[in-house]
Amino acid sequence: MHTHSKVALLAATLLAVGSSFALAADKKVAFVPQIIGIPYFDAMEAGGKEAAAKFGVDFIYQGPVDTNPVDQMQIVQNLIDQGVNAVAVSVLDASSIAPVVEAAKAKHVALFTSDSDAPKSGRALYVAQATDEGLGDAIIDEMVKRVGEDAKIGIVSGEATASNLNAWIGFMQARAKAKYPKLKLLEPQFAGGTAQRAAQIATDLMTANPDLKGLIGVASTTCPGVGQAIETAGKIGKVIGTGYCSPNTARAYLKSGSFGYSVLWDPKELGYLTVWAGKQLIDGKEIPATTTPDGMSHPVTYDAKTGILLLGEPAVFTAQNVDNYKF
Amino acid sequence: MRAFLQRFGEREALLALGCVVSGLVFSILSPYFATPDNLLTIARNSTELLLIGLGMTLLLGIGGIDVSVGSVLGLAAIGIGRLLEAGAPPALAALAGPVAGLALGVVTAFVVIFGRIPAIVATLGLLGVYRAGIFLALGGSWLSGLPTGLTNLLAARVFGLPVSVLVIALAYGAIFIAVRLTPFGAHLLAIGNSEARARLAGIGVRRVQVAAFVISGGLCGLAASFYVATYRNVEMTIGATLALEAVAAVVLGGTAVTGGRISLLGTAFGVILLRLLQNGLLLVGAPSLWQPVLTGLLLLLVLGAEALSRRLPLERLRQSAVGAAWRTGAR
Amino acid sequence: MRPRVSPILAILGLMWVVVVAGLAVLKPTAIALSTVTAVLQFSTILALVALGQALVIVCGGAGIDISVGGMVSLAVVLAMLLMKAGLPGVLLPVSCLAIGLALGLVNGFLVTRLRLLPLIATLGTFYVYSGAAVALTGGAAQSGVPGFLLPWGRGAVRGLPLPFLTLALPVFVAAGVVLHATSWGRWIYGMGFNERSARLVGIPVDRVRLTAYGASGALAGCAALVSLAWLGGGRPNIGQNLELTSLTAAMLGGIGIFGGKGGVFGVLAAVLLLVTLQTGLLQLNVNTVWQVGIVGTILLIVLLIDNLALIRRTS
Repeated sequence: MHTHSKVALLAATLLAVGSSFALAADKKVAFVPQIIGIPYFDAMEAGGKEAAAKFGVDFIYQGPVDTNPVDQMQIVQNLIDQGVNAVAVSVLDASSIAPVVEAAKAKHVALFTSDSDAPKSGRALYVAQATDEGLGDAIIDEMVKRVGEDAKIGIVSGEATASNLNAWIGFMQARAKAKYPKLKLLEPQFAGGTAQRAAQIATDLMTANPDLKGLIGVASTTCPGVGQAIETAGKIGKVIGTGYCSPNTARAYLKSGSFGYSVLWDPKELGYLTVWAGKQLIDGKEIPATTTPDGMSHPVTYDAKTGILLLGEPAVFTAQNVDNYKF
Repeated sequence: MRAFLQRFGEREALLALGCVVSGLVFSILSPYFATPDNLLTIARNSTELLLIGLGMTLLLGIGGIDVSVGSVLGLAAIGIGRLLEAGAPPALAALAGPVAGLALGVVTAFVVIFGRIPAIVATLGLLGVYRAGIFLALGGSWLSGLPTGLTNLLAARVFGLPVSVLVIALAYGAIFIAVRLTPFGAHLLAIGNSEARARLAGIGVRRVQVAAFVISGGLCGLAASFYVATYRNVEMTIGATLALEAVAAVVLGGTAVTGGRISLLGTAFGVILLRLLQNGLLLVGAPSLWQPVLTGLLLLLVLGAEALSRRLPLERLRQSAVGAAWRTGAR
Repeated sequence: MRPRVSPILAILGLMWVVVVAGLAVLKPTAIALSTVTAVLQFSTILALVALGQALVIVCGGAGIDISVGGMVSLAVVLAMLLMKAGLPGVLLPVSCLAIGLALGLVNGFLVTRLRLLPLIATLGTFYVYSGAAVALTGGAAQSGVPGFLLPWGRGAVRGLPLPFLTLALPVFVAAGVVLHATSWGRWIYGMGFNERSARLVGIPVDRVRLTAYGASGALAGCAALVSLAWLGGGRPNIGQNLELTSLTAAMLGGIGIFGGKGGVFGVLAAVLLLVTLQTGLLQLNVNTVWQVGIVGTILLIVLLIDNLALIRRTS
């Protein structure tokens, strides 16, 4: 009986593996997200696959099931060991990526970052969806357009340890201070990984601040929580919800009016650009300052000094345009 | 007063007092705490944990535990969500929760009791399996903005009371009756005290253990119905924190993890106190990052104070502590 | 009084061979020295923590340490904060160890003096330690690990990572010697097997147990040191999930949850099996979701086999 279950286990493993075998001659580009099983990174995977087919490389998508940086590093290490040619990482923790950067250099694997950066780690380049500053500014500017300058805004984030989320919050606060002195941003609250806790915190923030005008859900797990909390509290129209979340996640809340808008880029395009960048690194090609990669509809910019390959401006989704997007 | 306290149980009284005092402090510090809306919010936030805690009370009562309850809620919630998406009637979706929970409870009971694996280890293994199940069932796309049918159904009022309040009262009432007025309760406590002696006394030990796990599973499923009704979304990390929170609340409520003593009322107060503190601290502007620290300190303080105050002969205490916590399903 | 020799080591060894053989067939290039390095590097922290978990459980009395991950996180954070407050960087290894030890002794105190049940006591300290680590730093990673630690944390000799070679392995050997060749070892198994008779024959049960919790803390401190030297930064939630993975490793390694049963090398074997399996699945690019499920399934299967073997022998 036990040998049976072991055989079954092995068989399951073999089955799961089957699909990942491909021609050994192809160059391999890998992308490691912060966590798998969320719509945002799944969209990046779809874009990466598309680009891989277009540019004739193999694409490997592999990420941790928890936002745990050591698990992420283990995955990156194994990708390097199995001989991929380029690996892109959406970095969970900029401070702990150093060992795998060294390992990649030793094996001549191009290690670069995408979606979330580790600036001083020695990575080859950073594929940015938008600058952290641009994202922080956009969400605050759009909020002010809707609630005015003289307003109180709450911030609900996910894990307190996520370096990219904290950077966005930092730029939100800087923008408010520099441009909208009357705008009052409340101290950010951290919900951890669950939408349930995000909903509870959002509700409590509205209760504690009856004059609250807006709520920003920073992590994509916090978006449904914030949107639902505004609906449940009956504060649609009184409190404007928003967050960095994909149209699919925000659609129901945009339609109900609990979300005024949502700020994001097209993660599929970002995935596409990531694999394109990986291909350029493998081929050893210089990336020009402005270029339109094959298969993309608009140009991207590259700053050789900072190593940032910029996708473009973040997009703002509203109830009017959300149905044009399917990610 | 003294007689009342004794009857009420010291721990329950202590927790009730804790709720009242912290409630008073919060209402002085924040004008928004003691409003009907906010109290309703606290009640709503407590719903899932009240139900899961009730099941956990029974499990701890027989010297068992289940660390996979959050994932059971998650799997049941996915079932409910898929049904709602497919346009099933809300009543059917609401029922699907407890049914799925009962089924998973049977699986857990089977592995723990017939596999003779200690409950904490077996449910740890199942936690991994269920988590993988949640990932696979969701496949990267969350359920969000589910139809409001279930929400409206469970937000309805019967005799002027919200359905959730009625269901929770019914669940607690039914189990209270089962524990107090039927042999089930006596058997439960006997098993918690000593499984071997319970077996010698002719109690159908396995039957009671299976019942406890299945009831707990059903309650997790029921909690899933309320979860989906309230939040209308199911995301991958659903329920991840619930198991430890439930154990904390139940233990806070005076149920002994060594088995042999349970308190349903204590569990209810424990859950409400935890949720009340979470809500109140945020309302008075305490940073949310410190909340886990306070939860831990509360647990240690209450149990530590009790440990200091009770002057039981040490030997007796030791006998009950040794190994008893993990007894279920083994030996 | 002698510990029961469990068939677990054999089962684990067999499974390990199956995993490696499977990997060798499916992906021959993965059988390389670099894979060994990676497996050992990623095993080190888990191995140290799982050893502490195992010691606490073997001592019996419903022993368990839910707070191991919290201790690692808080030791990392406090050690880095102390250094920023002016403690010389040279003392970082000492402070990691001392902080871990102190946190572990708090657990031991709660269990042996206040007589709280270990599950509850360490659940409480789990919340306190892991919460405090994040709250004290606001979640920000702490940079500034002294440079002299990095060559040790990241170095390897003949493919064997230094932290594993010079810290984890010696610690396991020492623990093995203590458990199997000293009176402390006999005390530990004795009290884990039957606490009442252990007390009757005069074993200082409480002192041994306090030491075990202290050791678990000190090992968490070692794990904190390894993470600092390896990553080059202190992350406030580095210990996330370690409570469950260390428990999985200890159970898989044949440690009996009731105490008095199992040895430390089973734990090391279990850690290596788990990490080899993860590595193998990653090398084959199997979706990580399967890992979670497979690890859970293996835990259940191994315990079932162990139980059946026990039943067969006793009947």
